[in-house]
Amino acid sequence: MTRGGAVSLNDGRGKSGVSQRSRSNDALHASTFSMTQTVASASVNSAQRGGRLGGEASPLRRGIGAWLFLLPAVAFFVGYQVYPIFRVVWISFTDYKFLTNQPTHWVGFDNYIDALHDPLLWASLWRALEFTIMFLPGTIVLPLLLAILIDRVTNPHLATFYRVVLLIPAVIPSTLVFVLWKWMYNYQSGPINHLLVDTLGLFSLQNAPQWLGGTPLTLPSIAIMENWWGLGYHTIFFLAGLAAIPKDLPEAARVDGANEWQVFWYVTRPRLAPIMMILVVLRFGSAMAVIDEYLIFGGFNRASPTYTWTVFMYDQAFKLGLWRQGFAASIGMIGAVAMMCVMVLLIWIFRPRGE
Amino acid sequence: MTLEAVHRDEFASNPKRGWFERNRSVIIRHAVINFFLLIILLPLAWVLIMSVKTLPDSLRGDFWPRTFDFTHYGYVFQRIKTLPYNLFNSIYVTFFTVLITTVCAVLAGYSLVHLRPRGAGLVATALLVSLYFPVRVVSLISIYETQHFLGLINNTAGLILPYVTLQLAISILIMRSMFQLVPHELIEAARIDGAGPWRTLWLVGLPMVRNGLVVILIVNFVTAWGEYLLCVTLIDDEKARTMPVVLAAAQSGQGQWSWPNIAAVYMIVVAPGIVAFSLAQKLFFKGLMEGALKA
Repeated sequence: MTRGGAVSLNDGRGKSGVSQRSRSNDALHASTFSMTQTVASASVNSAQRGGRLGGEASPLRRGIGAWLFLLPAVAFFVGYQVYPIFRVVWISFTDYKFLTNQPTHWVGFDNYIDALHDPLLWASLWRALEFTIMFLPGTIVLPLLLAILIDRVTNPHLATFYRVVLLIPAVIPSTLVFVLWKWMYNYQSGPINHLLVDTLGLFSLQNAPQWLGGTPLTLPSIAIMENWWGLGYHTIFFLAGLAAIPKDLPEAARVDGANEWQVFWYVTRPRLAPIMMILVVLRFGSAMAVIDEYLIFGGFNRASPTYTWTVFMYDQAFKLGLWRQGFAASIGMIGAVAMMCVMVLLIWIFRPRGE
Repeated sequence: MTLEAVHRDEFASNPKRGWFERNRSVIIRHAVINFFLLIILLPLAWVLIMSVKTLPDSLRGDFWPRTFDFTHYGYVFQRIKTLPYNLFNSIYVTFFTVLITTVCAVLAGYSLVHLRPRGAGLVATALLVSLYFPVRVVSLISIYETQHFLGLINNTAGLILPYVTLQLAISILIMRSMFQLVPHELIEAARIDGAGPWRTLWLVGLPMVRNGLVVILIVNFVTAWGEYLLCVTLIDDEKARTMPVVLAAAQSGQGQWSWPNIAAVYMIVVAPGIVAFSLAQKLFFKGLMEGALKA
């Protein structure tokens, strides 16, 4: 799972924040509202409006010069993201093979039909979903609890210290997190089993839990690792959300006699809902498309729970030696489209409703 | 829910009770936070300690070694022949990836907000959509084809091309939201004073998006430094690979890859990111909050 997913939460959250603010801003013009929010959104709106007006005032700058700035980024983006996707779509409709001189034939939906008839595809999609379901609750519950606790820490040095330590896993590169946890989970010499067997004596060497390597514990173990990795990052998002809630709102509720649980449920939670939505949708996306972890922990054993649609695709394209790249491409497209459908559904379920 | 109990007590402070009673909620709060910090730090501490254990101690499994042995750090570079190459590969691939991505993202973000060429909206939308689509996994097949066409299979420097795009979209969007915080009047004023778009960006824009710059530098460093999938797919030659792939493939117990040796290599690879982040954390958090709260 890439860090990009996590960071993009940041930006996505910002975006939803803006759209929400500008929407509420229209309402604000009619009614008076909390000072800070009005000031903040007004300044942003004026900046945006200024930008738009300035852009239109000088049509010349909309031309070649402006594109020159955009060109390097767009060249990379098109060359290594847009084109490859369309190329894979095309490949999925052919009997394309790497490194052969044989002509490639258009085969229509044959690859898709083959894939959909393959029970392994359904099993692999289901495994990816299983992992996602194990992983997602941990992106909300623990980070939310931690954020609420850290938000109340009044000592600024301590608050900063907590945040920095929490974010340390987020600056450990992905593969190094997996390597680290491969040791943690190691059957013989890993510290987790050492704790369980030698220190606590709960298990003997014969029946100690086999965390990785295709056992039923594998996916939960990976989900725990992912939550360890993302804990700080998710917490920071909730902290950002909590910081945006005016302090007088929960205070007012307390004065009115609400207990802490009611304050959380009726005041804090609705205001964090947009963050939760972005977190769930984006983390769903990254969890469904996990591949590095599965390759490192599970390999290409078809019976392993780590053999998901991403590994299936990779196996077909690069490992088996059958050179069925067209078939692999169709697996990739089916998996991607399936998860995109669920993401659209999630966005629809969590859509902001009129308050 | 324990939270409820914790906070109810906080506001029912009674001066007659003891110190512990009065501060119980604060103590519990810090205890819970520190418990999680411990969970985060313990695995890292374990590797750090492992890297300075003697070989027999490393097999015993105890957390604290009986004797310290700092020789592993030197040993891995002298005895594992390919390791210096792998480390050098990682360093230059990461350096150029971060450099190119950052330059692209700054230029693009600036252009999208303050120059607004025709089609800017379309570009921004495409970038946003790409964040939701599993591009990295699905595009692998045709990226292999492209790299093969360019003759870049087993070419370490060739990795830079696909690496740049890994976090490009999000970097551009972060820079875009940072540049939205720069008042357009300021850019306009610089232009009226006779500064071209390049000078305006360099002298006026860039200093104001410094915090966001730190964020995308760190994000891109972390991604490129730890990239596994593309490297393992496009590079077959052990010598041409980067550190993460070597570490992931290292099997324990076999001579040069004994536990303390792997741990030492691990610490060498993981330390730069943590140190850089700890030093830049102030700017990083500012950038994060500016980007995150944006409104």
